[in-house]
Amino acid sequence: MIWLTWRQMRTQTIWTTGLLAAAAAYLLWLAWAIRDYYDLNVTNCTSECTADNARRLMSQQFELTLMLAGMLVIAVPAFIGAFWGAPLISRELETGTHRLAWTQTITRTHWLAVKLTIVGGASILASGALALLLTWATEPYDAAVDNRFTAFTFAARNLAPFGYAALAFSIGITVGLLTRRTLVAMAATMIAFLLFQILMANALRPHFAEPVTATYEFAEVHTAGSADTVGIGPDGAAVQGFLLPGAWVLTDTAPVVDTTGTQITMEQFETCEANGVTDMDECFTGLGATFTVQYQPADRYWTFQWIEAGIALALSGILLAIAFWKLPRGVN
Amino acid sequence: MTTPVLTAHALTKRYGSHNALTEATIDIPAGRITGLVGPNGAGKSTLLALAAGLIRPTSGHIEVLGRRPAADKHQLARVGFVAQDTPVYAGLTVADHLTLGEKLNPGWDPDIARHRIEQTGLDPKKKAGRLSGGQKAQLALTLAAAKRPELLIFDEPVAALDPLARRAFLQSLMEFVADLDVSVILSSHLIGDVERVCDHLVILAESRVQVAGDIDDLTANHYRVVGPRGTLDTLPAGIDTIAADHTDRQTTLIVHNTTGQPLDLPGAEPIGLEDMVLTYLHRAEGLGAPILQETRS
Repeated sequence: MIWLTWRQMRTQTIWTTGLLAAAAAYLLWLAWAIRDYYDLNVTNCTSECTADNARRLMSQQFELTLMLAGMLVIAVPAFIGAFWGAPLISRELETGTHRLAWTQTITRTHWLAVKLTIVGGASILASGALALLLTWATEPYDAAVDNRFTAFTFAARNLAPFGYAALAFSIGITVGLLTRRTLVAMAATMIAFLLFQILMANALRPHFAEPVTATYEFAEVHTAGSADTVGIGPDGAAVQGFLLPGAWVLTDTAPVVDTTGTQITMEQFETCEANGVTDMDECFTGLGATFTVQYQPADRYWTFQWIEAGIALALSGILLAIAFWKLPRGVN
Repeated sequence: MTTPVLTAHALTKRYGSHNALTEATIDIPAGRITGLVGPNGAGKSTLLALAAGLIRPTSGHIEVLGRRPAADKHQLARVGFVAQDTPVYAGLTVADHLTLGEKLNPGWDPDIARHRIEQTGLDPKKKAGRLSGGQKAQLALTLAAAKRPELLIFDEPVAALDPLARRAFLQSLMEFVADLDVSVILSSHLIGDVERVCDHLVILAESRVQVAGDIDDLTANHYRVVGPRGTLDTLPAGIDTIAADHTDRQTTLIVHNTTGQPLDLPGAEPIGLEDMVLTYLHRAEGLGAPILQETRS
């Protein structure tokens, strides 16, 4: 059975290995580029060598590249699930060869178990290895930028990709078994995996643990963390895109409130200006301004990685249980 | 080999609201070459897929060689199955298929496999996807045969083959059966093939079993009876009317004598296998005897 599995997968394995090797080579080059840049601008820094500057420099240089690399690493499980998982049973059903395979001296459960272990195992190892390579490649970047909860960073590093690979592969197998159509199963695998990613990043992952709520003095906006914009408009004063080092800030826009707890208005700022205080920061501080954000602290990163991988593995287990339940009961 | 190769009781397979097989009750004794005959869509493939354990019945009961089909490895080893259109892996060579058979079947007989491949002139290096229909069928038969099963099931093995390939395939099949002491169930809608190869018959039509038995017994006990109109209205007990045709002056009946005694009816003459089968198929479709008479040459 191991021989048959290998014989049937040989061609795919060769070209997949080629593609993965190309991706790995790119990541190695990226690792070199990141280290080179980091050495030049951070390690051997001569002036204004603050952590903030290091973060800014690394971000500017690599943020987009690494987002794309992250996408690539997340897409690998989706493609492997679609091209290896989905056809595993459905292709046999489409060509009718299941009637040959399943009437040899081997039970269908055994047949699936071997296929799953070898092909599924290879999928998980391939996806996982690529993710670990990216994790290693970006070590200096992640250390400097310290924003590992970002969607394309979190999902492309460490443990989570192992779970994704298992999930995408299981979706492919089970949908293939249920729909009996390879193309449908391939498309469904891609779509289901994409939906899973969107759902996890936006709806579930922020609530893996009760977020911490913290209120900051307005003056701390650039010392406790950093913010994209701080401003005031017709809707009142707000801090947008507040970041805490290493943590995952869930609040996009935090209203800036005065001592009474109401959001500071344009009128209050105009009053400041009328009183000769034209600097916004000074005006807000004078009003005793604070803002409140919710965030997941940095030390929850590994818990979240385990939960993320755990959810993917559990879903994968459910899907495979369906396949193992369904297969011996006949699919014609 | 005293265990029947196949017993089914009230075996039913339903797909949605469509009955593929209805209440089939069959007993196929060991050591026979059984022909399963019926028109397309009669439920032949369903019955054979149930026997191979590829699908499970909606209700009823089926046993193959005394056990539930595909119950475990041991049971799988005892049954060889060649599916309709004889599926093979298009991307694997003939030699790969033999390796597949060897790796997946502990009882694999390499001598039979090698001998059959030589005999049929299959090129071991050729991809199975490039084989002709007849060659594919021979490869599938080789795989099923070298597994050394106790029962071989063929689902319409020759339906897609040209007459020459069909003859060659049936020839191989018969040689193999003679060599190996194996029971066979094969389905076909070609009565001529069944008559040539089989000694036991099951007629399936409209998802039901119409009649089953040894071909010699069946042909010996089916008669055409012609008599003046009115004289054949009552028949002795145990004489079943399969089809009746009345003209103004005379009545023609096709009857099945189930008494076990010689039929004592004036004007009765035995009918051949093909006429008998057609009579059952027409009856299943709700048609009478006239069409049968038209088909007689």
